[in-house]
Amino acid sequence: MAEAKGLSSDDLKAISDRVIQLSNADQCRVNINSGWRGYTRVATNRITSAGGADATSINITSVFGKRVASVSTNSFEDDALLAAAVRRSETMARLAPESPEYVDELAAQNYQDNQAYYESTGELEPLTRAEAAAIAIQQAKAAGQIAASYMDVQAGTSSVATSNGLFGSHSKTGVAYTLTSRTRDGLQSGWAGDEANDWNNIESQRVADDAVRKCRDWRKTNLDPGQYTAILEPTAVGMLMLRMMNAFNQRTADEGRSYFSKAGGGNRLGEQLFDDRVTIYSDPAYRDAESSPFDRSGEPISRQNWIQSGAVENLARSRFWAGQLNQEPLPGPNNLIMAGGNDSLEEMIASTERGVLLTRFWYIRGLNPRIISYTGLSRDGTFLIEDGKITRPVNNFRFNQSLVEMLQNVEMIGPSVRVAASENSSVSTPIVVPTLKVNNFNLSSVSDAI
Amino acid sequence: MASFPVPQNHRASVSAQGTPLVLPADLSRRDFLRLSAAVAAAGILLPSTKPVAAQSMTSSERELLLHAIDVARSAGAQYADGRIIRTQFEAIGAREQMITQVQSTDSFGINVRALVGGSWGFSATQVLSRDAVAAMAREAVAIAAANNKVAPSDTVLAAVDVFPDADWITPHSVDPFEVSLEDKAALLLRVNEEALRVRNIRFSNSSILSVKEERLLATSEGSLIRQTLLRINPSINITAISPDGSDFQTRGAVVEPAGRGYEYIRGLELAASASGWAEEAAMKLQAPSVEPGKWDLVLHPSNLWLTIHEAIGHPTELDRALGFEANYAGTSFIYPPEDVIGKLKLGPEFMQFVGNRTEFGGCATTGWDDEGVPAESWPLIEDGIFVDYQTTREQADWISQYTGITRSHGCSYGQNWESMPFQRMPNVSMLPGEDDLSEDDVIANTDRGILIEGRGSYSIDQQRYNIQFAGQVFWEIRNGRKFRMLRDVAYVGRTPEFWNALDTVGGPSTYYLGASFGDAKGQPIQVNAVSHGCPISLFRDIDIINTA
Repeated sequence: MAEAKGLSSDDLKAISDRVIQLSNADQCRVNINSGWRGYTRVATNRITSAGGADATSINITSVFGKRVASVSTNSFEDDALLAAAVRRSETMARLAPESPEYVDELAAQNYQDNQAYYESTGELEPLTRAEAAAIAIQQAKAAGQIAASYMDVQAGTSSVATSNGLFGSHSKTGVAYTLTSRTRDGLQSGWAGDEANDWNNIESQRVADDAVRKCRDWRKTNLDPGQYTAILEPTAVGMLMLRMMNAFNQRTADEGRSYFSKAGGGNRLGEQLFDDRVTIYSDPAYRDAESSPFDRSGEPISRQNWIQSGAVENLARSRFWAGQLNQEPLPGPNNLIMAGGNDSLEEMIASTERGVLLTRFWYIRGLNPRIISYTGLSRDGTFLIEDGKITRPVNNFRFNQSLVEMLQNVEMIGPSVRVAASENSSVSTPIVVPTLKVNNFNLSSVSDAI
Repeated sequence: MASFPVPQNHRASVSAQGTPLVLPADLSRRDFLRLSAAVAAAGILLPSTKPVAAQSMTSSERELLLHAIDVARSAGAQYADGRIIRTQFEAIGAREQMITQVQSTDSFGINVRALVGGSWGFSATQVLSRDAVAAMAREAVAIAAANNKVAPSDTVLAAVDVFPDADWITPHSVDPFEVSLEDKAALLLRVNEEALRVRNIRFSNSSILSVKEERLLATSEGSLIRQTLLRINPSINITAISPDGSDFQTRGAVVEPAGRGYEYIRGLELAASASGWAEEAAMKLQAPSVEPGKWDLVLHPSNLWLTIHEAIGHPTELDRALGFEANYAGTSFIYPPEDVIGKLKLGPEFMQFVGNRTEFGGCATTGWDDEGVPAESWPLIEDGIFVDYQTTREQADWISQYTGITRSHGCSYGQNWESMPFQRMPNVSMLPGEDDLSEDDVIANTDRGILIEGRGSYSIDQQRYNIQFAGQVFWEIRNGRKFRMLRDVAYVGRTPEFWNALDTVGGPSTYYLGASFGDAKGQPIQVNAVSHGCPISLFRDIDIINTA
């Protein structure tokens, strides 16, 4: 197997050891990210930018008593520069007031390593990216459309080390490929995308086929806003679930500022709050959605249930908050998997008397954290379903929707797949979600955007 | 020249310095006079030329950069430009009575952009050796040549004057990086302490983010420009919890980021104001929920600036209008250029918007852009009619036949050494009215309305039609006066109708500069910082929804 892009794990260990050796602080932590990013972007049926760069940044945290400060730098080619960065972080830490919530750096930990680094992605050549772009351009041109696409490829290693004997490193790759195809008159648009750790799971041809077909089929007709049964394609579900991750926090719940807060104090752990088919978990080893088995402080991350059969099973708690409660710390998720079901998209459509099929969303922003509600807009493929059939393409909508209610109103669940859930189409937190059919989805106003 | 009004968030202003304002060469005299008057009325200061202190880029860095340009030219680029950029961040954060974050970040590197045929190539490295830089320059040319072979573009660069030895520094009197962490920490802890004194306030978060960009730009046309850009972002968020634990409300976005020095923070009187903001958070617990329906809206500039950013700033980006952002940030309803320039009516006759990179305190204010184009100010919307887009050197040519303007408006920016520059938003500001109406005068113009202060949740579609914006503090207006606080308010609308519902604008004394550090665009995504000035404004019959 080829070496991972960026500095090797051994190099990261050597730099970390050197920092700790240079450190005069009571405690010290070193986080390093080293890797490569390559990209190819298409617009107006041409490659508009393509490039790549290696980058390594090192973050040094120095601690005196409970005084803490961090310095991040990318200039460390020679020992003097590295020493200067260490000194700077120490100077800042000495000046910083005490952080009463500071918890000592971790000692050595055991991590469940996983194979998140795929050579297929790490060794991906610019030419291969250009070929995928060429497929999209060719397909769009043949259909009289205009392609705008983006392929983001990332490969590298991150590490954490502490002066208390901890070292961990993890290599991973990621690739995201998305395509928006529009008609020349600007009246139709379609989108498709894929995301994976493994390049072999990116289906460039299918992405091109789907986006061009969606664009061909979607020339909007009028439909009023309202509460609709909605079939959300996995990308749409994933874009919402990405937001749900932040809500699994025990401290904000205990402090009375979260949906998971209990009236009168405490939290709602253990309560049945969602449809009993809703199970949400994280798992750093999940195949082709792999993520790091440790967080920034070096805490181990393993498979963890958040919602189990509709009940809140866990909320994340920092080491400080766990200490206050005499509980074990529980780091937050760094990927998210929603358990799938067996319902096919065809069955969902066939069983819908009147509803809307949604491709993806845009500009999602929080509205009311007490009910985990969000607003945002549909984009690039919105269709009306009547009497079990897609009858016509319709205008886009703004939604104003509580994610709690959405997960209570689930009617059908499809198989789960990895999706490109980031609005900017960069490689993002791995999200694996199903197609969902939900009732009473609140499409609150019409968007004229195409 | 007339004295300038002092906007509310400019109380501690120092005199501006930098380049002269350069207007597009082919702007008509009538337009020039009108624009100059409008700019002056808006308090958009025109910087004067003044020598600046020595900056940190050394002669060896200059030689390295010129070497990169030479290598790119020898390798076949008909044009090349490059930058050495050092970006420093310092963040300090506090929660209640403790410091939660002290982080400094320093990133340093070099890049080259090369033009071969009509196509661009770009490469960057953090290794600042002669060999590494030469290899980088050759790679930029190789990428350009490859792109030119596969899918050739036909880039034409607008003419620009050459500035062989230029300097600019953000006008400031106190470099934020020279202020000790202790001072900053003490301020934040004071702010939180004052907020927590107020009944039902349980949490207070505050932070200060300082940014310094040291940039050296060289072009193969002979410009060599050294600049230091400073920006600062104070942030406070206060949470009130009801005594029975059944409800919580927050007050955030109380002050704005600015392209200024630390004297700006000192002038904000954060500690003295904190209890007032905390009172507002506590009052929200008691406030009645809004009744949805049509209301008149009085938008304070602390709220309106973000609506301007989303609903005027973004749709007037030319690359977006022409489909270059279709896969992410989207396209624009202000399209196609030949049908909208000088024709599209977006608001009443008294509605004026300018793009500028010259406004004192603006986060997008600079001496020159990333292509060596001097900062300027120009009209985007004149007398309610859309007249021009935001442009870079290659974009000017795309619409010059409709605008008559052949030069770039200077909107090129790359966020750091790793990032290829492209068209980014300048400061986009709405000019105040000629009558100097006060906030009270504007409020008096409605019998039944809502006054909104502070930016809240905001969302807009990818062509910038459907807007939905909330806020921080909402006051019901009855019979021309503030009556009581409301909560759970958001306004929705369709952008053209929304601006056409503009009824009254406040005068220069109500002009205020809001700003964002998080203007996102591009793939890979790049972040830009911009400011938006505006007066307090009244809009008629706007749809209000209840977000509870």
